[in-house]
Amino acid sequence: MKTLHRILALVALLGALVGTLRAANKELNLFAWSEYIPQEVIDGFTKETGVKVNYETFASGEEMLSKMLAGGTAYDIIQPPDYVAEALIRASLLAPIDYAKLSNFKNILPEFLKMPHDPTQEYTVPYMTGTVGIVVNTEKVKEPIHGFKDVFTPAHANRIVVVNDNREIVSWALQTLGIEANDLTPENLEKAKPVLAEWVKLIKVYDSDSPKTALLNGEVDLGVVWSGEAALLYKENPKFQYVLPVEGAHQFVDLLAIPQQSKNRLAAHQFIDYILRPEVSKKISEAFPYTNPNGEARKLLTDAERGNPASYPPVGKLGTFRHIGKISQAIDALMTDLKNAR
Amino acid sequence: MSASARKVDPARIEIRDVTKRFGSFTAVDRVTLTVEPGEFLTLLGPSGCGKTTLLRMLSGFETPTEGTIHIGSEDVTHLPPYRRNVNQVFQSYALFPHLSVHENVAFGLRMKKLERDEIDRRVAEVMQLVALQGFEQRRPHELSGGQRQRVALARAIVPEPEVLLLDEPLSALDAKLRRAMQIELKRLQRQLGLTTVFVTHDQEEALTLSDRIAVMNAGRIEQLGTASFVYHQPSTPFVADFLGEANLLQAEIVGREGEAARVRTQQGWELTIAAPENLNGAKRVVISIRPEKVLVSKQRIEAGNVFPARVAEELFQGATDRLTLQTSGGVKLTAIVANESAIREAIHEGDEVFCGLHEDDLVVVRADE
Amino acid sequence: MRPTSRSFSSRRAGLRAWLLLLPMLVWLAAFVVVPMGILLVYSFCQRDDLGRVVFVFSWENYARVFDPTYLAIFGRSVAYAAVTTVICVAAGYPVGYYIARRSEKRRNQLLLLVMIPFWTSFLVRTYAWITILKNDGLLNGMLQYTKLISAPLDIMYTPAAVIIGLVYAYLPFMILPIYSSAEKLDNALVEAAYDLGAGPVRSFAEVIVPLTWPGIAAGMLLVFVPAIGMFAITDLMGGARVPMIGNVIQNQFFQARNWPFGAALGVVFTLLFAVSYALLQRRRVWEEE
Repeated sequence: MKTLHRILALVALLGALVGTLRAANKELNLFAWSEYIPQEVIDGFTKETGVKVNYETFASGEEMLSKMLAGGTAYDIIQPPDYVAEALIRASLLAPIDYAKLSNFKNILPEFLKMPHDPTQEYTVPYMTGTVGIVVNTEKVKEPIHGFKDVFTPAHANRIVVVNDNREIVSWALQTLGIEANDLTPENLEKAKPVLAEWVKLIKVYDSDSPKTALLNGEVDLGVVWSGEAALLYKENPKFQYVLPVEGAHQFVDLLAIPQQSKNRLAAHQFIDYILRPEVSKKISEAFPYTNPNGEARKLLTDAERGNPASYPPVGKLGTFRHIGKISQAIDALMTDLKNAR
Repeated sequence: MSASARKVDPARIEIRDVTKRFGSFTAVDRVTLTVEPGEFLTLLGPSGCGKTTLLRMLSGFETPTEGTIHIGSEDVTHLPPYRRNVNQVFQSYALFPHLSVHENVAFGLRMKKLERDEIDRRVAEVMQLVALQGFEQRRPHELSGGQRQRVALARAIVPEPEVLLLDEPLSALDAKLRRAMQIELKRLQRQLGLTTVFVTHDQEEALTLSDRIAVMNAGRIEQLGTASFVYHQPSTPFVADFLGEANLLQAEIVGREGEAARVRTQQGWELTIAAPENLNGAKRVVISIRPEKVLVSKQRIEAGNVFPARVAEELFQGATDRLTLQTSGGVKLTAIVANESAIREAIHEGDEVFCGLHEDDLVVVRADE
Repeated sequence: MRPTSRSFSSRRAGLRAWLLLLPMLVWLAAFVVVPMGILLVYSFCQRDDLGRVVFVFSWENYARVFDPTYLAIFGRSVAYAAVTTVICVAAGYPVGYYIARRSEKRRNQLLLLVMIPFWTSFLVRTYAWITILKNDGLLNGMLQYTKLISAPLDIMYTPAAVIIGLVYAYLPFMILPIYSSAEKLDNALVEAAYDLGAGPVRSFAEVIVPLTWPGIAAGMLLVFVPAIGMFAITDLMGGARVPMIGNVIQNQFFQARNWPFGAALGVVFTLLFAVSYALLQRRRVWEEE
């Protein structure tokens, strides 16, 4: 047993050593959404500063949170969605940002500052924002679609794709019932259950990574998807129209933040400031046409890009997600149960 | 399974002008051969001579490129192995490792869809025949080499085939066991009266077991005949050399005296030989003499041809002594003499001796114009 | 066991064997025993608001595992895996056997073909299947062009698509062990069966299958077990419509932030296999005796 202890200690030591070497080596550990930061942007940063970027990806805010909490890699920059950032701030897992080091922070439009997740604007910088809305293939669907109630009807059975995110789906059901999206109580879940039970029968595909695929392939005609995906579809073919649901739409803000464990905060600030440059931010918008919170970058976009109704939708009823606690497990159980009952 | 109880009579095998080619290689070259019912025929030859390919065409694992094969009255040339009433004992025995001895032996009967009682009765009979009662429930890997061999034999004879094929079935056994199995095999074959084709490269085995031997070389049958005939009257240098041992002498015919002929070897040695009919017109011959036919003595001996010689080498072989004789003419002969030291005068390396060759023992194995 | 005479050096040989095994033992300890231990501990814990594991003892996670919903999901996963395994055996056996019967040179070429897919990312290969199976994909295009069907077949995001994806992903794991068994099969045994009057079908059923059974069994294990836990294919090709046990476990870690429950599912899942495998082994030992 003693030998085993020694070996384990040795392994741990080696791991620590490698970690230190990496940090000293001018490296930046970036933990971000898959398909959200163009490689071109990362390469540009490395070319300019000589800092190597290790880009690790996640597919959901919860996955990011899980991995953050599990420890492991000391990330220097993370890209949490608003409600996850809120949880991280509450748990004191984020390092305060020195905004004085961010000469380009002034480019952020005022409506994206001091939002509910970071009311004092101390820990986060907005990266991209967007909405979750309805995409309609207007060649196949002739009747007008205004909200969730028009999407989830028996006529559209087996013709719908939605993001594979249980909280999203549950929030839509709540909103059709006139309940606020963040009001996630067991009683409200119980009310949403019969609505969701009907919806689950109609949905053909659940896909968070690339919900546009099923629409493009003609497998489905309607979708409730991220606005960036909708914008790409519109760019591909204007028959894919984007609609903000009348019941209310989820507005999400994806942020950049520096975790407490970061060992390279200087480079982290450099990276954030680099992202905030209008010409860099514009490249991100071109590749991933979400709503850019960077006012200066928006000015560099083409009229067509600014006119994309999915990227810059007309003002509607918007609301952000807030951090929820243990109710996430009740949401998961509810959806699992309903999908299973199908 | 006494011989009288057999329902299937042994069959005649007729191989007519059979050729088998693999790509550009001719394994069997226009072979014609008849095996009589109940006969034990051996295909003997070195590896690659075509004997195994010929056997595989009898069992059906290969199809002749040309020619036909009849077993009994049936043309089996293109019949698959499982439709032939022929069974084989494989070189490696090929016992099914996942089945017990009983299940192995019963396999062929089961394939014939016999009643369970009938199968059990016949398996019990054959197990007695090969003296393996009590081993029925063992797995093959729990048996000795000799026992496995007997199981393989039992498995092949219990379906009462018209023809039994043996593919070097004794080669995996040690020398002593092999001799015992040879005797047993011969006894069984006689008792059952089975037409049997046996493939081996072991000449001693061939001589012991066979009614007739077909010596094969390069895809052809070089000589076919009874064991004794092929041994004593080899028709080619290959047969003389392969079957037993032979002193081969190249010589020129220098004269004829009625039934005998005078020949002179390359070394200038003159011999009198018995001249067969086919020697007419021949000028050059190859002569064979078996080592045990070479007489050796310190005294002058009575024989058609007597020469002085010196014992260049002596090898003790237990029952026999093997001598290398150097004659005055420069001819080297191998002699094998019985080792009866008590009666016989001792002959040792370096001794000056006489060597004698009877005219009848000098066999012409090749004659050229 | 064959009785062997134990020589005085056997103890030293034993020690050396253990030393040689040490790297593997360390590996097993670090990557199998320790993680399983962590999983076991977690499974009796609770979670906090953020989803962090709180070390307070609880049976609750195990109580939830045996909820009918999760049992039904487990049953469905087993059924999909079973269908996949059966198809893999049916499709993989002829291939493995065929390859094993070729010349050595040809064998190596064919084995390479079997393994080439591993050179490409699994996800890329799965996306390729989407291109083939989608409504206006290659398969439907071909079938419609040849007028075999008039309207495109709905394959993507159906159970059929999941099965196709699973069979595709795991077929090599069936072919390779069957190949290795079939390669060891002495051809003389097959000939002996023919010789004793067994036609191709009976030779196959009574000699070839029993003798290559170790390869079939290994292949079944290699396909069945991972197929139960597979989640990427059910997501990508099944549209994540019907939950499989793998998806449910994955969700506990990445969506519901409920590690203890995920751990409990994992522990039960693992135990179930350990027990069924042990039973299988015991039966085999018994059969051999």
